[in-house]
Amino acid sequence: MSKKLRYVVIFLVLAIIAAGFAWWYTFRETDRSVASYKTDVTIDAASLLQAFESNEDSANIVFREKIILVTGTVGSITQDTTGYSVYLKENDAISGIICRFDRPAFNPELATVGSSISIKGLCNGYLMDVVLDKCSIPDMP
Amino acid sequence: MIILVMLSVFQIAGAQKVVTKSGHIWFYSHTPLEEIEAHNRQVVSIIDETTGEISFMLLVKSFEFKRALMQVHFNENYMESDKYPKSTFKGKITNLDKIDFKKDGIYPAEVSGDLTVHNVTKPFAYKGTIEIKGGVVSAKAKFTTTPREFNITIPAVVENKIAKEIQVTVEATYASN
Repeated sequence: MSKKLRYVVIFLVLAIIAAGFAWWYTFRETDRSVASYKTDVTIDAASLLQAFESNEDSANIVFREKIILVTGTVGSITQDTTGYSVYLKENDAISGIICRFDRPAFNPELATVGSSISIKGLCNGYLMDVVLDKCSIPDMP
Repeated sequence: MIILVMLSVFQIAGAQKVVTKSGHIWFYSHTPLEEIEAHNRQVVSIIDETTGEISFMLLVKSFEFKRALMQVHFNENYMESDKYPKSTFKGKITNLDKIDFKKDGIYPAEVSGDLTVHNVTKPFAYKGTIEIKGGVVSAKAKFTTTPREFNITIPAVVENKIAKEIQVTVEATYASN
């Protein structure tokens, strides 16, 4: 009898774990920044842009859906209702890397126009610029 | 002096096009079972004030949903964004004569052109507004569309969770180029 009861308890526990996992899997929220993700590619802004400008298709294969740590010069910072866009662009360039931050992931004190910065983000491809989403500014050693 | 003249000519020439790289497009699907909303704030748009040409370009993967699984389904099952990463609109403002880009105001704008979603291009016309405030141009539009128009099949299991008509809102604030 007690053996049967033990099976029932084990079954119930497993069922609860499975249900919990299914619940989590279905309703989990989107991560708002990639701060806790592992970096796939470390690159400077000019090389990243160059890769997309010379061959978008092959650059997509290498960089899209990857977590990129990119270093470049801050060209401009714009703010909207839910976050910030930091535009990495060299003075004379027409394009650059556009990095979107959700508000809690951005600290305006860490970025000044004209200075160098490293930004971690999810590369989603290229429009007029290379697009990084869910960005964060990693702590520098 | 020559440099000054050249500079001002350049500025006039440059003022004809306005650009944004952080336009905001979001869509909304409402059914009694499920509310779905997704935002894309990395939309590129260009308006040529002299010809009335207007274009929008976005990466489908930049649409952000509240729930991660919805975003996965949207990209993998419906939009197939690995195969078709971009959506675009290329068109013209057809009532350009009624819009004065030099004068503050809110102008109704009629736009028609081609909308490409999921690799399907459809002729598309809508009414929006163009606002000029202190020389800054912004555009707004709201329209509805259906997944079916763009060959997006919604499986029967989730049919009741995804609205037949999807409301799309466009908001963009431009800077002169």
